[in-house]
Amino acid sequence: MKKASKTAAAMAVLAGITGFMITGCSPAGTSPAQSATAMSQEDFDKAMSTPTKLTFWTWLPDVQNEVALFEKKYPQIDVTVENVGQGGEHYQKVRTALQSGDGAPDVIQLEYQYIPSFNLTNSLLNLRPYGADDISGDYVDWAWKQVSNDKGVWAVPQDVGPMGNLYRTDILEKAGITKAPATYEEYAADAKAVKEKTGSYISNLPTNDPAQVIGLLWQAGVKPFSYDGDKTVGINVNSAEAKKVLAYWQDLIQKDLISVDADFNDQYYQGLASDKYAGWLTAAWAPIFLQGTVENTAGKWAAAPLPQWSAGEQVSGNWGGSSDAVLKTTKNPIAAAELAKFINHDEESTKMFATKQFLFPAAKSVLEDSSYTDQKVAFFGGQQVNKLFGQISNTVDTDFQWLPFTEYAYSQFNEIVGTAIGAKGDLNTALDKWQETLVSYAKDQGFTVK
Amino acid sequence: MTTMHITSDTTNEPAPPTTPAPRKKLRPRESQRSTLLTVLLWLCALYFILPLFWLIVASTKSNADLFSTFGLWFGKTFELWNNLVSVFTVRDGLFLQWVINTVLYAGVSAVIASILATAAGYAFAKYQFPGDKLLFSIILGAIMIPLTALALPTYLLFNTAGLTNTPWAVILPSLVSPFGVYLMRVYAADAISDSLIEAARVDGAGEFRIFWQVGFRLLGPGVVTVFLFALVATWNNYFLPLIMLNSSSLYPLTVGLAQQQAASAAGGGAQALFSTVITGSLVSIVPLIIAFLVLQRYWQAGLTTGGVKE
Repeated sequence: MKKASKTAAAMAVLAGITGFMITGCSPAGTSPAQSATAMSQEDFDKAMSTPTKLTFWTWLPDVQNEVALFEKKYPQIDVTVENVGQGGEHYQKVRTALQSGDGAPDVIQLEYQYIPSFNLTNSLLNLRPYGADDISGDYVDWAWKQVSNDKGVWAVPQDVGPMGNLYRTDILEKAGITKAPATYEEYAADAKAVKEKTGSYISNLPTNDPAQVIGLLWQAGVKPFSYDGDKTVGINVNSAEAKKVLAYWQDLIQKDLISVDADFNDQYYQGLASDKYAGWLTAAWAPIFLQGTVENTAGKWAAAPLPQWSAGEQVSGNWGGSSDAVLKTTKNPIAAAELAKFINHDEESTKMFATKQFLFPAAKSVLEDSSYTDQKVAFFGGQQVNKLFGQISNTVDTDFQWLPFTEYAYSQFNEIVGTAIGAKGDLNTALDKWQETLVSYAKDQGFTVK
Repeated sequence: MTTMHITSDTTNEPAPPTTPAPRKKLRPRESQRSTLLTVLLWLCALYFILPLFWLIVASTKSNADLFSTFGLWFGKTFELWNNLVSVFTVRDGLFLQWVINTVLYAGVSAVIASILATAAGYAFAKYQFPGDKLLFSIILGAIMIPLTALALPTYLLFNTAGLTNTPWAVILPSLVSPFGVYLMRVYAADAISDSLIEAARVDGAGEFRIFWQVGFRLLGPGVVTVFLFALVATWNNYFLPLIMLNSSSLYPLTVGLAQQQAASAAGGGAQALFSTVITGSLVSIVPLIIAFLVLQRYWQAGLTTGGVKE
C-alpha cells in the first residue's frame, strides 16, 4: 500500500538468504512462452463453474468483503484470504513459498515498485491472455502503465497514492499565509514565514522513507530507474534534475525550515498532533490516515496540489498504492486472474474499496462517481478531498519505472541519502554515492547497466 | 534471577523456615540502611515498572490523546472500555482467537517441555551412562544458540514435512528446552539425595516409578520454574510463528498484534488501531501475570518439605 521502506531494512538482512533463491531460479529457458491467444469464453465458463480453491495473500484489512462479492458471483470458487504480513514480510513469504515449490498462493497483493522484482524471477502470470487488455482503459493511464509493459500485463491496479500537499490552515494563517503555495519558490518563502512566526516546520523530509522522496522526484520528471524486463537496467539517480530537487530540500533543511524526522513512528505522529509540522507533502491515502491518527486536529486541515517547479504547470508523482498479481505457479490461472480482475474492476467492489477501506481508487468508475468525489470531508473543513486527489491523479507522470531490485535500492537509499538528510549534509554527494552503489550492485548481479 | 534463587536456596543448609526469632536478630542490620542502595533500588524498580505503567495509562487513551498528551499520565478522555471493546471486536473478534491460540501453544509447550526437561535433568544428575558428559556438553552448547537462529532451518525442515501453517509448527520446536535441562540437572543433583533413591530401589520400586513418584515430586519448585520459563518463552515467541504461520486465524498474540500495528501505519487502507494494539498488549500480558502470581507459591513452598534426613 504505502511503502515498504520500514521493512526494507529487514528485507536487506534477509536478502542474503534470498539472494541465492532469486538467482537460483533462473528466468532463462524455464519460461514457457505465454500464448498470446485469448482464452475462449468456453474455457472461462468452464473454469468459473468448476469447484476451485484459491488462496489470496494480502494485508488489506477486511478484504473478505470484496472477495465475498466475487464468491457470490462465482459460487463454485472458494477463496481463502491470508494475511502473511505487510510489505517486506509478505514478499519474503511469497518468495520462500515459491522457492520451496509448495504452498504458494494463487493471487498476491503487490506494490507497484516490486512488480519488476517478481518479473525478474519470472514469477508472475501474464494476464494479457486472460483478457486484461479489455479493462486497460478503465484505470488511470499511469497506473495501468505501472502494471503493464510491451511484454504483458502483470497485475491489476488496486489503489494509488498520487501526491498532494496537506497543510494546517490554522498554523499557516498565523504566519499570514492564506493560500497553498503554487510553486516551490513560494513554498520556500512560506516555510520561512511559518518557522519564524509560529515555530512549526512547514513539513518534514523523512530520513527513512525513500518512497516519499522518489515520489517527489517523480513529480519533477526525474526518471531514475528503468528496466527492460530482462537483463538491462538504467540507473540515473544522480541526474541534474534529481540533484536540483534534492539541493532545494537541502537548502531548506540547512536553514532549519524543514525537519528531518523519521516518519511513521510515534514521534512523528506526536509531531503531527502537536503542531510541530504544519503540513505534509504526501499521498492520497494520507487524508484518511490523518483522520484516524490525529483526530484532535480535525477541521484544521486543507488539501492542495503539490507546489510546482514551474509556475502554471500541474504535475504530480505517486507514493504508494498496490496491485493484485497472479503467481505463475497457480493451478487455476483463469479463476485466479478473474479474482484479481474482479475485485479491482467490479463497480461494487471498487466502490467498496474506496468507501469502506478508504483506498484511493485507480479505477475510473469510482473516480467518476459523484457520490464519491463530491463527498465533503469535515476533517478538511468540508473540502472535497477525493475530487481534488482525483484531479491530481490525472497529472501524474505516466512513464515512471522501477528497478528489479527495489528492496536493495530502498535500503541503500536509507543508508546513504537518508543518513545525509538526517545529518543535514550534502545531498548531491549522497546521490552520487547512491548511484555508484546501485550501479556496482547491478553489475555484480549480472545486469547490463545502460 | 529465579535460577539464582533456587540454586542458592538449595545449596544453603536446610535452614528451617524463617521464624520470628532470627528476624529480630536482623533488626540492627536493617537500621544500617544504605541510602545510596535504597535510591538505586528504587531507580531499578522504577525502570522496570515505568513501561508497565505507561502501558496501563496508554490503554486508557484514544488515538488522538495517545499522540497529543503526556505519555505517563492519563489523557483528556478515559477510553479504556472503548478500547477493550475495540480489541475484541476488530476484524470479527480475531483477537480472542489469538488468545486461544497463544494459550494452546504456550500451555502445551510448557507442560511437555517441563516434563521432558525434568526427566532429562534427572537422568543426567542421577545416572551414569556412556556419553553422558558429551551429551550434557552438547545441551550446554545448545543454550548458547538463540532460537531465532534456528528458525529458518526449522522452517525448511517443517516445510518438507508439510507441517508449516499448522499449530505443530509452533508447538514442536518449543518442546525442547536446553536451559530447562541444565537447570533441572543442577537442581536434581542437590534436591534428591542418592540415599533416597537407594532406599526406593531397596523397596523394590522401578527406575521410572522412582523418577515419577519420588524424584518428580521433590523437584516440584524446579519443574514450576522450567514451566514458567517455557510458558513465557512460547507466549512471547514472535519470530518462529511469524515465519511458520500464514493464516491470521492461527496466529498467536505476538504476531497478531504486530500485524495490527503494521496495519495502523499502512497508509492506504490503514486502520488507525494504535490504541487497540496497546490495549491488546495489556490484555495479552494479564494471563502471564496471573500465572506468575498463582505459581509463585510453589517456588516459595519450602524446598525442605520433601527434605531427607541426612
